[in-house]
Amino acid sequence: MANTSLTELERDVANMIIEALELEDITADDIEPEAPLFGDGLGLDSIDALELGLALQKRYGIRLDSDAEENREHFASLRQLSALVAERRSD
Amino acid sequence: MDCLSHADTALPTLYLHRWRAWLPERAGEGTSACVITDEKPAASSVPALLRRRLTPLGRAVCTLLGDMGAHERAAMPVLHASRHGDGHRPLDMLDTLFEGEPLSPARFGLSVHNAVLGVYSIAFGNHASMAALAAAGEEFEALLSEARGYLAEGHESIMLILTDSPVPDRYRIQTQAPQAPSAMLMELSLTPALDAVRLQARSVDNAESRGQTVTPPLLADWLMGRRDLITRTPALCWQATTEMATPHTG
Repeated sequence: MANTSLTELERDVANMIIEALELEDITADDIEPEAPLFGDGLGLDSIDALELGLALQKRYGIRLDSDAEENREHFASLRQLSALVAERRSD
Repeated sequence: MDCLSHADTALPTLYLHRWRAWLPERAGEGTSACVITDEKPAASSVPALLRRRLTPLGRAVCTLLGDMGAHERAAMPVLHASRHGDGHRPLDMLDTLFEGEPLSPARFGLSVHNAVLGVYSIAFGNHASMAALAAAGEEFEALLSEARGYLAEGHESIMLILTDSPVPDRYRIQTQAPQAPSAMLMELSLTPALDAVRLQARSVDNAESRGQTVTPPLLADWLMGRRDLITRTPALCWQATTEMATPHTG
């Protein structure tokens, strides 16, 4: 069922996540924008976090400081990650 | 080629309790109930978030280990030998480095030789001894040596996995590699059983043993009675027989 609550940017970021992490059988519409990406929600792990950091750099030109405390917030949900992209993209 | 018998002293006898193979290049051919040929095995027992990190070869190994119930045998070591590992993965990373691009952390993590066993161990919660080997074309020989060591130390049985994988075309001039990936899994012990196949070695001349590298399809053909098996180091000819494997019940 189409998740109409995704903005265009959120859909773009969701597709980046799916592509970078090779998520099987998942489409952008399956990702709840407010749900946790790691642990209980989508179930991603620490290697995925590194992979997403690389994807953000390639796709949007965003370089994250690997041990910055705010990364936890940026990676909390699709919506938070999309907000980071909107604010810091340089592509 | 016939197996010629020479002075046979202390040559190994092993018992094969079960075997399963993945031979995708033989899809559509009549093979054996022990062989699967799906291009991309389901590996449905592996959680999706782990499964996405496996190549078809890794999925095949996890599918067959799951089918054979290896995770229910906590004391059974699992050995995996492959000449090129998961084929293209480490080699793709070299290309990425050459182009000056950053490496994918996930692919880096999975480029190690024991990656498939690692994912299997996590997915099935199997904490048995596991090891990954490479031996420049003599992987099956190395597996047998390791297996005999574990069995001599008192392990009741052992699971051997031999896999083979294609490499990118530009490496073919330097190395032997097949066109299609494949896998063979064999559970061995030193103990005869009603349904076990006895694997008996005889020594052969070194000249005779300069044969092919032992691959999963070659092993499958041997176990289906289609050919002999000759290993190189040591030079041995192996016969697989069901007769005499029955325990003597008096």
